[in-house]
Parts: sequence; structure tokens; C-alpha cells
Amino acid sequence: MTLTDVLELATPAPATPEPRRRRRRPKIGLWLGVGWLAAVAFCAIFANQLSFIRAYDTKIKVKGRTGRYNIGPGWRTWMGTDASSHDVFARCIYGAKVTLTIGVLSTIIGLFLGGLLGVMSGYFRGWVDRIGSIIVDSLLALPPLLLALLLVYRMDDLKGIYTWLGWLNREWEITLTLGILAIAPFARIARAQTIALRDREFVLAARSLGAKSGRVIAREILPNLIPAMLTVAVTGLGILVAAEGALAFLGLGVQRPLTWGKMIADGQNDLARAWWATIFPCLFLFFTVISFNLIGDRLARRFDIREAAI
Amino acid sequence: MRYFLQRLLQFVIVFFLVTFGVLVFMRIGLNKPGDPARTMLGGTASQAQIDAVTKRFHLHANYLAQYWFWLKGMFTLDFGYSQVHSLNVTTYLKPKILPTVFLGIYATILALVIAIPVAVYQAYRRDGVGDKVGSFMSFAFVSIPALVLSPLLKIVFINHLQWFPRLFTKVYPWDNPIEHFKNFFVPTLALTLPLAAIYVRLLRADMVQTLQADFVTLASAKGVSPTRVLWGHALRNSLFTLLTNVGIQVGGLVGGALVVEKYFAMPAMGDTLVRAILSSDIFVVQSVSALLVATVVIVNLLVDMSYAVIDPRIRHARALS
Amino acid sequence: MSDLIQASSRDIDGPLLELTDVRTHFRTARGMVRAVDGVSFTLERGRALGIVGESGSGKTILSRSIMGLLPPRNTVRGGSIKFEGREIGNLNRKQMRSVWGKEMAMIFQDPMTSLNPLMKVGKQIAEPLKIHLGMDHATARATAEKLLQDVRIPEAHRRLDQYPHELSGGMRQRVMIAIALACGPTVLFADEPTTALDVTVQAQILDLLNEQRKDRNMSLVLVTHDLGVVAGHTDEIAVMYGGRLVERAPTKVLFSKMKMPYTEALLESIPKIEDPSHTRLMTIGGRPPDLVNPPPGCRFAPRCMYVQDKCKAEEPPLEQAETPGHYFRCWYPVGSPVYLQVKERLADKPVSVGEVL
Repeated sequence: MTLTDVLELATPAPATPEPRRRRRRPKIGLWLGVGWLAAVAFCAIFANQLSFIRAYDTKIKVKGRTGRYNIGPGWRTWMGTDASSHDVFARCIYGAKVTLTIGVLSTIIGLFLGGLLGVMSGYFRGWVDRIGSIIVDSLLALPPLLLALLLVYRMDDLKGIYTWLGWLNREWEITLTLGILAIAPFARIARAQTIALRDREFVLAARSLGAKSGRVIAREILPNLIPAMLTVAVTGLGILVAAEGALAFLGLGVQRPLTWGKMIADGQNDLARAWWATIFPCLFLFFTVISFNLIGDRLARRFDIREAAI
Repeated sequence: MRYFLQRLLQFVIVFFLVTFGVLVFMRIGLNKPGDPARTMLGGTASQAQIDAVTKRFHLHANYLAQYWFWLKGMFTLDFGYSQVHSLNVTTYLKPKILPTVFLGIYATILALVIAIPVAVYQAYRRDGVGDKVGSFMSFAFVSIPALVLSPLLKIVFINHLQWFPRLFTKVYPWDNPIEHFKNFFVPTLALTLPLAAIYVRLLRADMVQTLQADFVTLASAKGVSPTRVLWGHALRNSLFTLLTNVGIQVGGLVGGALVVEKYFAMPAMGDTLVRAILSSDIFVVQSVSALLVATVVIVNLLVDMSYAVIDPRIRHARALS
Repeated sequence: MSDLIQASSRDIDGPLLELTDVRTHFRTARGMVRAVDGVSFTLERGRALGIVGESGSGKTILSRSIMGLLPPRNTVRGGSIKFEGREIGNLNRKQMRSVWGKEMAMIFQDPMTSLNPLMKVGKQIAEPLKIHLGMDHATARATAEKLLQDVRIPEAHRRLDQYPHELSGGMRQRVMIAIALACGPTVLFADEPTTALDVTVQAQILDLLNEQRKDRNMSLVLVTHDLGVVAGHTDEIAVMYGGRLVERAPTKVLFSKMKMPYTEALLESIPKIEDPSHTRLMTIGGRPPDLVNPPPGCRFAPRCMYVQDKCKAEEPPLEQAETPGHYFRCWYPVGSPVYLQVKERLADKPVSVGEVL
């Protein structure tokens, strides 16, 4: 034993000064994100009860007449009217309900399927892992929006041919599609974390005591996956909301109530004349995406998950 | 070398799997209610046309056989037949490919050109005012979907400032470089800004780590100027995550291009693809999918190879195995 | 060895390096960390000084502070550092750049992380030559090869085009020495140059450093936690504890007439060749002091076997011992009556030092 070792033992915590001041960052961003999402969700859920939100089909009349974009943003209609005299604000709120529901449900689908795939790949390795990684790579090889377009359109088609698919409506088609898109990122992070956890002492201990694989996964692995999966889920929600918008923009959205993407598409040609019909849905989309990102960013910091891993 | 071959094999498997999957998925249910060729061609087609199409594309054979014939066609640049436009797919797609390629390449290059200096500066002046502004901006731009950015840029640059043409016209750079630039600038910007923001965040994080490494301090202690330390020593050691993400983002870039092309009414692959899907133009969908998958696969292979170019350790490890 | 790039031998009166009350503090969330807290010493041209202390004693920070290599943000520096009579303590990084590599050079602890993994060895050595001496590519390359030979790397020519990962740890440390020596610095700081190396390689590296120091008329500051390292390779030793210089003496004097119980404890924790095998080594119990709120009296008091009430209340000044050039900071130094008394009492009931605390 050299002096090095002796001193190492004698000084358990080397007091290396941390030259950088570690201040707690203000949480304004987090609360702004939570606040926006809470407000939008509240309005969307109680849209029919709240007096300041007009009914979906209400047409605004100016001097007793309807008209294309007949009124701009102002006191009477906060965000103006669209091409068929509908209140843009009210329509944004009804769109929010659809978009957020689809986002949450598809995240749950992706979390479940991707988590299953990732944990199996990471825990059993070998051929399970190889098949898992081919599935994930295949899902990633096709540009996600292309995959989504294909899935939604074909589901539409097939439900006319096979009666057992009759229960599918647009909401479900899009939810399932986005859920499938979300599998790959969840599977990746779950796999990486499972591999890291698998060789940690407490898991090795459980395994050496003869615990069955299922039990080890349920008791030791899954609880430790929660922080990372939660972070990916929140950040992923932002991406899925944007993807839903893109699908709706490209003409494969929910038809009633319309979502933000479709509203942007409808206002596209009259952008110069009636900017509000485009800009307000854009802002709803932007604030929603950035809110999920703000919360996700906070979670990633909190749980020390690197962005590159996501 | 073994590692590289393994990756290559995996990519080839993925390519075949995905293109086969698309083929099957597009053709399920074609035989309901009756003849697949009739479904494809619609009610007005004559029996002779139906027979010709069935024969040409072996529509009565099983999917694997159909895939085989389709694949054979692909390699002889016979991409099939667009029943919607009554054209060979090759002829139909040819003029649409280049604008998308331009858009993708411009967006990636411009994103790197913006992101690298910004990230290097931010990492160097960590926690300074510039870094904070940069972080805020990149966070905001990461959160702006192409769908939101396109209208905003259109309002500012095209409607308000009127710097760029209102309607997109396809001009090749060898015909008129200035017009080409004018037509592509705004769409490229809509694609590139979110991409640049992602790159900035990734590269800054890696640069900050690298700048704390001993060899960077040693380079300073040798008397090397900060500029050289940053660009000559630290940057190269920080490029790996960025490069990986250039590969990962290709898929997302195509998605963004779809939206941007449609918003700016560019007659390119994205728009073509959406139309083809909506009209069940089977061969167009298959061909475009195959081209896109091939692009994603090839870019990722190139990224893998670029690691070896940058890092001698990887180069040598491969030479050994 | 006449074509060596010699350390600049300008004729300047006074010491090469003169430190007066040097302080280096870091602003942190917990408060001000007093990593170096009032250190003074001088270093003559061509001499070798050892700075010894545990991790966290401030020795590494001191050497980096002298070179001005610490990140400027949240670092507070005080006192005066004179190099060849010129004040350099207040120079910024830009002003220091002409000093770095040319006048002062540094060797780091871990050769695995201190060389740029993506740059050929030859280029890394040639870099300072081009910057400071304005050499062209061919001359710099030839000089780099010469330097590799000087640090005893076989097949020097082939090594120029190799990458660090192709070299062994000892070899990389030699490359680092070559880089440090490249422009003929006046003073070389070696921060734990042998800690990361195999025992067999350690002695070779130390001998190489010493030999180069003599050949080049260069001063050497050897920073280490290992008294064994500095024993045969320095003229003078400074012992640091808790950010302060606690004892300073010519090497021979320090080993024969040490005054600080801390120095004594450090020495006793080195295995000796004459001890029977399996002899229990003495260890120093406790932890290094908290540098945010240092103890009010002697900073070593909480861990000292010979501690008295006075030690806990008042901090001892740096006093001169009977031998010239020997300074220490202790109320009851080794050999004093109180010391002997305590030692006798401890000898009655043999316990390990750790248990006393």
C-alpha cells in the first residue's frame, strides 16, 4: 500500500472546490407551461359550460349578416372569425380537446408497447434484442410523418372493406397511428435504462437469490424506469401534438371538431387578408408544444437525463 | 470492419423489411370486392386494361412474388405505373425529386452553419448573457413546429417585407441562381431554424463537457489562442452527438419538408406523396417510400463512416477487428 | 546537449518566482471556498520545489493559480505573484498567453486525458513551437522529433504520426513532458506527474524531469501528495494543509527536523523498507478541513494527536525554526515539551491514531 491509497482512505471526500456557482434556476418556465396547459385543458373540458366560449357552430353576424372573415380580433370576438364566420377562439378550444386527448392516449399506447419492447430487449438481450432493434430501426427508417399518413389513410380504406374494423373513427385512427410512432423512442430509452439497471448490484442480488425474471422486472426494473419514461412521455407529447397538427394540415385530421392544423390549412390562402385565422391556431400549437417542452426540460434536469438520450 | 459490415447488414434488412411492409400494407384489401386491378383502376376501366395491368404487375401472385417483381423493376429504374396520372412513375416522379433534394440539403447545411458557431460561442461564454439569450432562442425554436413557422415566415418575409416571390416557381440554380435562391430561401428557413436549434443544444452540451477536459487546459497552457483551442481542439472532440443526430433527424426533416412544401405550394416529393396516398396511387407511394427509406439508411451509414474519419480510435479499432 | 532550447537566462536580481500572501477563493452556492489562503514563498532559478499535501489541501489550485489557468468566472485571486520581478498575478488570460508554454509550462496528472485524442502526437508537440518560436512546419517537426528523443521515446520518428491511444501511459507522460519542454520554459509545474502511472515507470519519469531540469537550467515545481516522490527529487519542500502553507524547509532539513505533527503523520504513513512485513501503517484520521468555514485555530487541530486548547482557539503564525530557511506553523512543534508529554502518554496505551479522533 502506498501513501496514495492511505491518503485516499483517510480522506473519503476530496474537497475539490466546484468552481462554478450552482444556483437553482427559477421555475418560471415550468409554471408557465403547467399554467398554459391547465388553462387550455380546463377550457376544453368545460367548453359547453363556460359562457365566454361560443358553441361550435355559432356564426357571428355583423350588421345582421355573416361573411368571410367578417370580423377581426377585438373585444367581441377575441381572435376574429374564420372563412365561415365561426369564432376562431372557440374553435381553437374545441380543437384543443381533440388534440390533447389524442396526444395523451397515443402516448399511453406508445409508453406501453415501447416500454414492453425496450425492457424485453434490454433484459433478455440476445435474439430478443436483435428482433427488437430491427423493429425499432424499421419504425425509424420510414419518416414518421410518411408512416402516419400511410397508416391513417389505409385504416380509413380498410375499415370500409373489413367490417370488423368498423369501430375505427378518425380519432382512433390517429391515436393508434401516433401511438405506433411513439413506440421507437420509448423502446430505445427503456432498453438503455434496463441494460444499465440489469447489472446494478440490487438487481444482481435479486437475481442471484433466484427471483424469477418477471418478478425482477416488475419489482426492480420497472419502478426505476419511471423517471426516464415520464420525461420522454412529456417531451414526446409535444412532438405528438405537433405531428397531429401536421396530419390535420395535410388533410388527414379529425373533421369535427376541426383541429389547429386544419385551421392553419384553411386560412392558408387568405393569410394576407385575414392573418388571425392562421396566426391564432399557430399560437395555440406553439404554446402547447413549448409548454410540454418546458415541463419535459425541467423533468430531464430533475432526473438528470441527457437530451441526447431522448 | 466487422462492426461496419454488421451495421450495413442491419440497414439492408431494414430496407427490405420496410419496403415489403409498405407494399403489403398498400395492397391489403385490394381484392375486395373483386379483382385488384379493377379496384386500382376504378369502375371505368375496360376488361383489356384490367388484364394488362394484372399481367404487368402480377397482381394475382402472392405478396412476396409481387415484391420480387417490383424490386426487380426498381433496379432497372422502372418504378411502376401511376394509374391516377396514367404515366410511368419514373416519368412522373423525375421532375419532383430535385426540389426536395435541394430543400433537404440546404436545410441541413444551413442548420450546421448556424448551429456550430453559435454553440461554440455559447459553450465558450457559458452562463454569460450571450449564452442565456442563445439558450432561450434555441429552446423556443426547438418548440416551433414547421407548421407554425411557415405561416409566420410567410407573413414576415413574403407578405410584409415582400422580399421574396409570392408564388413558388421551380427554378434550377444552373438556370438562374438568384431566382433559385429567392424561391428556396423562405421554405429552407422554415425547415432549418428548428433543426439548427436542436443542433445548438446538442453541440453546446458536448462542448461544455469537452472544454472541461484536461487536454483543453493543456492546449491553453501551451499558449494556444482561445480561437484555436475552440476550433482546433475542442470542436472536433465534441462532434459525435451532433453527427449522430444529423442522421437521426433525416426522417424528421422529410416530415418537415412535407409540410413546408405543401404550405409553400412547391411541386415536389412531399406534395406528390400526400396526393398519391390520398388517391391510392400504389406505385407512386411505394416508390417514394423506397426512395425515402433508402435516403435515411444511406445517410445513417455515411454518419457511421464519418465517425471513423474523425476519430482515429474508431478507425484503428475497426482495422483490428 | 548544446543545441537544447535553454531557459531564458536574462540576468535578473532576486528570485525567479516570488509569492506574497497569495489567495485563491471560489464563489460557490455554499459560500466562499478558500482553496488557497495566504501562501508566500520564493523559488530560485534552476531549483526544484516540492509542494506536498492531501487532496483538497489547495496544492493543485495553487499551481494553476500561479499560472493563471483557472477559469476567471467566480474565481477571486489576491496577493502578489512576481515572475522575474514582474507582477503576473493580475494579468488576464490573454496577457498570460505569451507566458504559457514559453516561460511557464505544466504537466498534468493523467496522461490518458491530457493529450488531445484526435491529434497526432507530433502535431501536439509542434503546436507551441510554431506559436512561440515562429517555426515553420518542417523545423517544428524536426524539433518535435528531437524532443521525443530527449524524453527517451524510442523510434521517435515513427511516434510523430501516432495518436495518443497508440502509446502506453508512461509514453504519453513522456510526450507531455516533451510538449512542456518544447519552448524551453523557465519554470515547469508538474502536477502529480506520476500518480496515474505504474510504480516502475514513476521513478523513470521523475529522473527524466530532474535531468531535464539540470540540462536546461529550469526551475521545477513538483506538486504531489506523496512525500516519497519529492524526497529524492527536490531541493526544498513546502507542505500545504487546508489552503495554507504549514511547513517549508530544504528537503534534507524537513525529513530530519520536521516541526509539524502533520508532516510527521504524512511521513509515518509511508511504508518503510526496514519495517517488518505486515506492519500497520499510520493513518491520519478525520477529513481535510471545510474550506468554506475553516476551523478558527490551527486548521489541523481537529485531527492532530497533540492538540491543546490553544490550538483550537488561535491560529499559529509562520515561524522560523533554528535552521535557516525552515518555517513552520505550530504552537507545540515536534520536539517541544508539550509534544513529548503527549507522546509519552499515548505510548502507554497503544492505539492507532484514527481511534484517538
